[in-house]
Amino acid sequence: MNVTKLISIALGAILVNNFILVQFLGICPFMGVSKKMDTALGMGFAVTFVMGIASAATWLINEYLLLPLGLAYMQTVAFILVIAALVQLVEMFLQKMVPALYQALGIYLPLITTNCAVLGVALLNVQNHYNFIESVVYGVTGGLGFLVAICLFASIRERVEDCDCPKSFEGFPIALISAGLLALAFMGFSGLRIF
Amino acid sequence: MNFKKQLREGLLTQNPVLVQLLGMCSTLAITTSLFNGLGMGISVLVILTCSNVVISLLRKVIPSKIRIAAYIVIIAGFVTMVDLLMQAFLPDLSNSLGVFIPLIVVNCIILGRAEAFASKNTVAASAVDGVTQGLGYLAALVVMCIVRELLGNGTFGSGVLSADGARIIAEPYPALMMILPVGGFLTLGCLIAFAQWLVKKLNDKEAAAK
Amino acid sequence: MKTYVLKLTGVLFLITAVVAVLLGGVNAITEGRIADINAEKTAAAIRTVLPSEAEPEPVQDYADDTGLVTAVYRMGEDGYAVQLVVAGSQGEITMMVGVDAEGAVSGVSFIQMSETAGLGAVAAQDNAKGRAFRDQFVGKSGSVAVTKDGGDIDALTSATITSRAVATGVNAALSCVANFG
Repeated sequence: MNVTKLISIALGAILVNNFILVQFLGICPFMGVSKKMDTALGMGFAVTFVMGIASAATWLINEYLLLPLGLAYMQTVAFILVIAALVQLVEMFLQKMVPALYQALGIYLPLITTNCAVLGVALLNVQNHYNFIESVVYGVTGGLGFLVAICLFASIRERVEDCDCPKSFEGFPIALISAGLLALAFMGFSGLRIF
Repeated sequence: MNFKKQLREGLLTQNPVLVQLLGMCSTLAITTSLFNGLGMGISVLVILTCSNVVISLLRKVIPSKIRIAAYIVIIAGFVTMVDLLMQAFLPDLSNSLGVFIPLIVVNCIILGRAEAFASKNTVAASAVDGVTQGLGYLAALVVMCIVRELLGNGTFGSGVLSADGARIIAEPYPALMMILPVGGFLTLGCLIAFAQWLVKKLNDKEAAAK
Repeated sequence: MKTYVLKLTGVLFLITAVVAVLLGGVNAITEGRIADINAEKTAAAIRTVLPSEAEPEPVQDYADDTGLVTAVYRMGEDGYAVQLVVAGSQGEITMMVGVDAEGAVSGVSFIQMSETAGLGAVAAQDNAKGRAFRDQFVGKSGSVAVTKDGGDIDALTSATITSRAVATGVNAALSCVANFG
């Protein structure tokens, strides 16, 4: 078990190659749920959880079902079905256990299925030839990177809401420009390495 | 089914990227050269039209409870087909677009149109809808590509006109950051602002004419 | 109730099965061609890095301490072509390094990379900048490094990670061939 590699993967997923601000995966919920800090936090944790389990489940299915049977071309179909089922389970779990969060996330919870970040991390695990542990670490830390970005962004947006803004730029456009500046800041992490 | 009306909607008033704000992940990620933009735009147009047609054909047969899962499987099928065909016949484009080809499955535009239109309309209308919305997406991508490539690389038509494209701005002047994530966000933000302004003007004109 | 759930699963399973069969068909058509494209890429890379009349002959036992080498081809008396996979900034880079009979680099070429367009991706492009970067390695022996690490390879603008990865690959290839004696 190569711990230095795991730490590089984690650092990469959260800062250097942040899923939202560098790899552009997960923009739709990033824009949609970041208006308030508490929904952003809730969504961030839900996505981290789904990404972690999805990484594990899709790796197992790929390794023990698709590859041995020569069905590599079925990866996309199989992965997205697994993710859809997983999100359904998370929905039922939250509805029973944490109904407040379930209400707050509303329509955005089933939309985690179409979150590019979840399917993206499953496909990237295959592309990078990660083993099981590495895949799960990448999934969880990718989700944490999503969480960091969405919370930073939510705090900015809460402030921007109160500012004056040219009429055409109100709403999404000014949010995208703020995200651009955040992405610019994250460029500073490029080349960061501990080992 | 008014083709002209649907085309106007697809390109402008209901543009999937600039007005409905769907499919942003790919719009931001791959719009660094005209080659990518055209390749992705045409792929999505084809997949959107095909899945719209199939889903419209099956709309009376698919039970409501599992319709989203069924749509996803059908869309994933077409995406994988396009992926395999691209790897075999257009390997450079496949390499360039990378992981974003299979990610077309979760492109909100396709699932969104399936749910909002194809599941409730005839096959012909759904096909037209697929084409017009696909053209809107393609148009948004092409504009993004041209702006980002011109400002970020100083060239035009890289990969399409020639391997490097026609150099418009001399070497040291282009702002490299336009090709990086920053540039994507900034360009899309300005483009959406422009689209919002344009749509509002058109709506005001129509309201005044009434 | 039970029949209702069975019906739902049945329809979903049927749709998935039809999709799977259709994909199997498309895969059967494209499989051969994709494999050919990959084989041609490797062959073209070998021809670029070490122009030689000899046929590439895969070498089975080579000594590689770095773990980066994936294949070695002996080109008659002209030298070796070494295929490696190094970690770039956006994923893996598959490259081919030619080492001539004197143990010096004869060429560097890329088979597969997905580095940032306009930055790291320039290393593989067939334009002036790309060629200039790749030509820097020709003739070098022993070990190479980018200027930041004390060597004399000029890294690509804003693509230090990619440039370092390429240097690492070249070093691994040189040391692997040196082990042949």
